[in-house]
Amino acid sequence: MSADTVDADIRWQRPSPRLLRCRRIEVASVAVPAALVGGLIGASASAAAGLGVAVGLLVLGLLTERFFARRVAAWGFAERNEDLMVRRGVLVKRQSVIPYGRMQFIDVTAGPIERSMGLATLRMHTAAAASDARIPGLERDIAAKLRDQLASLGEAQAAGL
Amino acid sequence: MSDPTSAQPPHLSVAGDTADWHRLHPLTPVVRAGRGIIAFVVAVALIAIANQRNNSQLVVDLVVLALALSGGFISWLVTRWQVANGVLRIDTGLIRRDSRRFPLTQIQAIDVVQTGLARVLGLAELQLRVAGSDSKRSGRLACLRLADAEELRRELLALSAAAGTLQAEHPPGLAAPLQGSAETGVTSSVLPVPGARVSPEVIERPLFRVRSGRLAVAIVLSRSGAIAAVVIAAVVTTIAVTGSTTATASFLPFAFGIVLAVWRQFSGEYGTRVAAAPDGFRLRSGLIQITTETVRPGRVQGIRLEEPLVWRAFGWCRLAVDVAGPKERGENRSEGRRLRALVPVGSRAEALQMVDDLLASRPMPDRRAPREARLKGPFQYHFLAWGSDERYVVTSRGRVCRKTTWVPLEKVQSIRWVQGPVQRRLGLATVNLDVAGRRVTASIDDRTQAEAGELFGRLPDLARAARAG
Repeated sequence: MSADTVDADIRWQRPSPRLLRCRRIEVASVAVPAALVGGLIGASASAAAGLGVAVGLLVLGLLTERFFARRVAAWGFAERNEDLMVRRGVLVKRQSVIPYGRMQFIDVTAGPIERSMGLATLRMHTAAAASDARIPGLERDIAAKLRDQLASLGEAQAAGL
Repeated sequence: MSDPTSAQPPHLSVAGDTADWHRLHPLTPVVRAGRGIIAFVVAVALIAIANQRNNSQLVVDLVVLALALSGGFISWLVTRWQVANGVLRIDTGLIRRDSRRFPLTQIQAIDVVQTGLARVLGLAELQLRVAGSDSKRSGRLACLRLADAEELRRELLALSAAAGTLQAEHPPGLAAPLQGSAETGVTSSVLPVPGARVSPEVIERPLFRVRSGRLAVAIVLSRSGAIAAVVIAAVVTTIAVTGSTTATASFLPFAFGIVLAVWRQFSGEYGTRVAAAPDGFRLRSGLIQITTETVRPGRVQGIRLEEPLVWRAFGWCRLAVDVAGPKERGENRSEGRRLRALVPVGSRAEALQMVDDLLASRPMPDRRAPREARLKGPFQYHFLAWGSDERYVVTSRGRVCRKTTWVPLEKVQSIRWVQGPVQRRLGLATVNLDVAGRRVTASIDDRTQAEAGELFGRLPDLARAARAG
């Protein structure tokens, strides 16, 4: 089930493996309290119901974790000569090509959990609202380097509207 | 950049000496206050008639009116404008001075807008559109005499074109085609001779004129017309069944809004005329408020031909263009959000003729979707097709409202390959071409995986070639 539509010899770069840990923390920080609260509410009816709800919510959390693991594994980007390619998605697979000359500006953001892991998310914007190119889970220094590199490439190949 | 003053035409008939400061028309406050004043006067008159004894109330109202007008008057008094050294300067504000400069080379388009009241007084408003700015920063010269506004518009465009060609003759750096010079490429390709000054008498070649009767019928038969009809029918039946009008009270704002939207569409698109001028396509439309707008073919990000189900029976269609840059108007915000309709309603031949005028070549969607696509969208399949040549990509889709979209390859911002779960099962994929406009995306839907993959590999190169050439 290969989604690689273009030449197989593209060298895909991947987000840091720590992104998965980051996602796990995010899932756990929602699933565990939810299981606790759900379990307590269920326990007010009967102990078995409380246990059932709590286990159910934890299993849901585990499934979400599996899903995120696949999503992180699917994410990749490649710097080509004239454009940047980003691929992502498990259920709906997407690949985007953004010519360097079309980049309007580049964002580097990092949420609290990402920041504690030393990661950042890079986002490229073009004049079209529909283009989406987001690379999460880059090591912070790699993100900064990539941003500068993309910005200078964009400047060199800039095209008008 | 070399001195742009040398590029100015020898005289500006409106301005005389260009460096002079000018004032707006003295009736500006009245027009600016516009509807507010009329509504206020009507309200005051009604109140005065209702309680004729109570004169003190009337005095208070008159004082408020006078204050409102004098505020406008002061604003007029402190507003002045000037064209000097290729820059239009507008100064305004009594307490907080506000000085805006608009380098003429950066002006994308200049619109002449006439609100209803302004038309009665023979005035017009000049709106400058600058790339990448929001509506707050764009320039407004309100109000001038209509003839002056037209004249000034022509001269500003000529100055802008002249300054632009100067810039193109001495480009700052050949390696980096910046936005300014890219724009000049556009302008000079539109001008008969690159570098030639636009002559004061602009020769316009009429291309299209909407028929009012057809427009009215078409809007009634369109979706908004259908919704309005349903709402009106619902109101009438409720009144007929219950026999009381109170039950419909909750309906009324809703119904009013819909009727207003239909009316706006009609009054906005009434009398649409398109003419080819040296600097682009001159577009005039409006029943009460007349808008004059210039669409430069080189700035068109996408063209959409819409053929709703009912219209197809008459062979009618609508042709709209998406142009980069904000176009929100205070008065007609609903219209600003829509695509600009060059042909609000016309025959297919008229619309295709317009496409020919806008584009250098016109590929038609001739490559049908593969058989498997029928399983995914049995209805949509009927019109699902795409086509291309070396400069444009065209796609068509939609069963009820057939939409054909042309996108210039040189304007493509990004290319996306998307495959949903159903498509994966059927071995299909979609390729989207995004352009800078606000709502046009050409999506080559439901092609076989092999074709989509091949397209996705080839389109970036085609787009690059189109940009370069």
